[in-house]
Amino acid sequence: MFSRRDFLSRAALVALAPTVPGFLARSVRAATPRREGRVLIVVQLGGGNDGLNTVVPFKDEGYLKNRKVLRLPENRLLKIDDKTAFHPALDDAMKLFQSKRLAIVQGVGYPNPSRSHDVSMAVWQTARTDTEEHKGNGWLGRALDADASPLLFVGTTELPAALRGRRSSGSVLSRLEEFHLVGDAAAVRTMASPLTPNPSPPKGREGRQEDDLLAFVQRSFLDAFTTCDRLAEVARARDSGANYPSTGLANRLQLIARLLKTDFAARVFYTAQDGYDTHAAQLPTHANLLRELGGALRAFLDDLAASHLAERVAVLVFSEFGRQVRENAGAGTDHGTAAPVFLAGSRVQNGLVGTAPNLLDLVGNAPKMTMDFRRVYATVLEEWLGLPSKDALGGTYERLPLFGK
Amino acid sequence: MNDKPPLHEAEQVWSPYIPDERMPWNLARVVHLHRRAGFAATSSEIQRDLKDGPKTSIEHLLSGKARDASVPTDFERVAGLLAEAAVSAGDPTRLKAWWVYRLLFGPDPLGERLALMWHHHFATSNAKVDDLAAMRRQNELFRALGRKPFAELLTAVVRDPAVLIWLDAPANRKEHPNENLGRELMELFTLGVGNYSENDVKDAARALTGWTVEDGEFQEIAGRHDDGDKTILGKKGAWKGEDLLKILLEYPATARRLAVRLGKQFFGEGALDKSGLDALADLLRRNNLHIDLAVETILRSRAFFAEKNLRSRVFGPVEYVVCAVRALEMLESSPSTVALADWMALLGQDLFYPPNVFGWPGGRRWINTRSVVGRANFAAALVGGNGLGEPLDALKLVGRHHRGGSVVEAIDFYSELLLGTSPTPAFSERLHKALGGTATLVAETARRIVVLILASPEAQLG
Repeated sequence: MFSRRDFLSRAALVALAPTVPGFLARSVRAATPRREGRVLIVVQLGGGNDGLNTVVPFKDEGYLKNRKVLRLPENRLLKIDDKTAFHPALDDAMKLFQSKRLAIVQGVGYPNPSRSHDVSMAVWQTARTDTEEHKGNGWLGRALDADASPLLFVGTTELPAALRGRRSSGSVLSRLEEFHLVGDAAAVRTMASPLTPNPSPPKGREGRQEDDLLAFVQRSFLDAFTTCDRLAEVARARDSGANYPSTGLANRLQLIARLLKTDFAARVFYTAQDGYDTHAAQLPTHANLLRELGGALRAFLDDLAASHLAERVAVLVFSEFGRQVRENAGAGTDHGTAAPVFLAGSRVQNGLVGTAPNLLDLVGNAPKMTMDFRRVYATVLEEWLGLPSKDALGGTYERLPLFGK
Repeated sequence: MNDKPPLHEAEQVWSPYIPDERMPWNLARVVHLHRRAGFAATSSEIQRDLKDGPKTSIEHLLSGKARDASVPTDFERVAGLLAEAAVSAGDPTRLKAWWVYRLLFGPDPLGERLALMWHHHFATSNAKVDDLAAMRRQNELFRALGRKPFAELLTAVVRDPAVLIWLDAPANRKEHPNENLGRELMELFTLGVGNYSENDVKDAARALTGWTVEDGEFQEIAGRHDDGDKTILGKKGAWKGEDLLKILLEYPATARRLAVRLGKQFFGEGALDKSGLDALADLLRRNNLHIDLAVETILRSRAFFAEKNLRSRVFGPVEYVVCAVRALEMLESSPSTVALADWMALLGQDLFYPPNVFGWPGGRRWINTRSVVGRANFAAALVGGNGLGEPLDALKLVGRHHRGGSVVEAIDFYSELLLGTSPTPAFSERLHKALGGTATLVAETARRIVVLILASPEAQLG
């Protein structure tokens, strides 16, 4: 509930909307909580994350039997319950869990899993198991086709298939500098300063389209410069004391946070952390990757909480597959199947979801999935973004208790 | 006695432009012609066309003779080598650069503009096709057939590897039809949404079963074709793919959709009304959907040169970038075509990679926070030579065209060249304020004038 005075000041600003920069008007509208304001962030772990050493079933006989060099010592694990624990490098994820902002969906995969990076990633990104459909659109692109919503990939590679839609438009943002006016910035701004109203338009030019269109462009310019200022200001304010580690993923999430703070119009942000293909000497590499992941997630969510944006955001973390249970001779692991998926955010229903695979019952040295990934997607689409999931996922999938009331 | 029949309303809309007191052949119209139907003119080309008058100027543009001495004598050979090198290196960046080379140096800017329009119409992305040879081949079809009767273009493009792969034709078989090609053929390539039913789509897909690509060529595989009866737009028969194309080409909605497509290309917001579109559709229908005839009718019309069509359309990134380079005559040591293609992508138009089957959203949607900043930064980079090549000698360009050496005269020159108009008092006021009251025209001031004009809201319209 807001007070009458709040309402009036908001109403006044809305009434001024045509003359105030668009981002201000948008912020005013956004002041009323609404489902459309919700945003999904996807973090893709590229290479196939070793789920068993991420969320560790430390009492499982199969784990103890198959992991020798790679077995994480029980006394260093961060216990979730009496048989499940985080990797020691996930202390930040543990803090998210303790502050009730993390759901862990166990054993997530799909039937007849492929162990090829490309094929399996395409399955996850398109939500289609038939390879004939892998060059088509992605699950998020399809879901957002209805209103042609923008989707943004933050990274330096090409647009992920997940964001391809028939109508929705995905774009790639590599650097915040794309919002930075170089050179003669002040002069460029002057060129877009409000047009002097012309009291008597030249004869024959009354109501010309150009004037409307020009006014639109001029307004958009001002709008753009204001957004840039706001981004710069947000960056200068050191993100309200947010403490991001200096890692690649943290930088990208911080960029997304800055865009959210300026009310950037995208409903889905997508980014990736690569390097999970740990075939050899896995322990140090994997620990570093998980530390980067946990640290970035926690900094991001804390930053958003401090900016009162946490309620609008959910983060989905997945990888194209997990890894095999028995380690290989090079102290690494080979391509596997099912693995845990994380969902983080203050509106997430905290806890373990589903059941962990039985590691004594393996197929080709990898766990059998206990949860179809499309159930996670269906829940995220329907309950978080308020979008129908049937067409996006090519079927109806039972939802999971992932979001609180 | 006047026994001529009264002009049909439709014909009135498309009656030829003859300069008169109300609509004189002036700088604004010459610049409009080149910015809308070509990729901008140089100062000398503008002067030439002012003298030549509309009939000759339009004739030049239609026949690929609008560009002066800047077209290299061995243009086609060089372009061919560039494309082949890009394809054999498997480097998409170089294929984009090839097209930029064509846009900048080719003799036929109108043809290139239409090729760009067809790239948008048949929006095919290499993100999925993943075959530069196929992308180049499709692009050459747009150029070779883009001005012919539409049947020739449509037939060639949909029976060509790029579109077939893009729209999953190989997966469309008798036992498991894939509707992708059938749907987009109806919704995007011909009829437009609302002119067909879901059953039409299903049966169109069935008619197309068996179309595929083998060894980089179109193939029709009889064993995969569903030879049962289909009903498409009310016509029943054991239709095959080619029958489907014939049915779609004859259906009136196709002519209408092409009229809309051409209308969006050559007219700005609110510059062409329904009766104009109807008349253009009618003209297309009566003339075998002949694109060249429609284009010529448009370019010669009063409607095209009407006041309300001037500067009433938001420039797309390719237009914005190429027009700037052309008008500023940065051709002798031209900016890197690779870098120019990168800028176009950054501004939202990545050649050979349209965002989806609908192509680029276009119009007002070209303008957003990133593109506004990007356009201003591009202007600075182009003029300053930052990452693009040699800086512009903006002072020399003014001198070459025998214009005076004051700030005011330089502003006039560049405003006329880039906007097609003398600066309005308000525009001048802003520009002077932005320049900070500089009194003398030195090289740096001239460069700043160009950057500021290119980065102004006015320069985004064309």
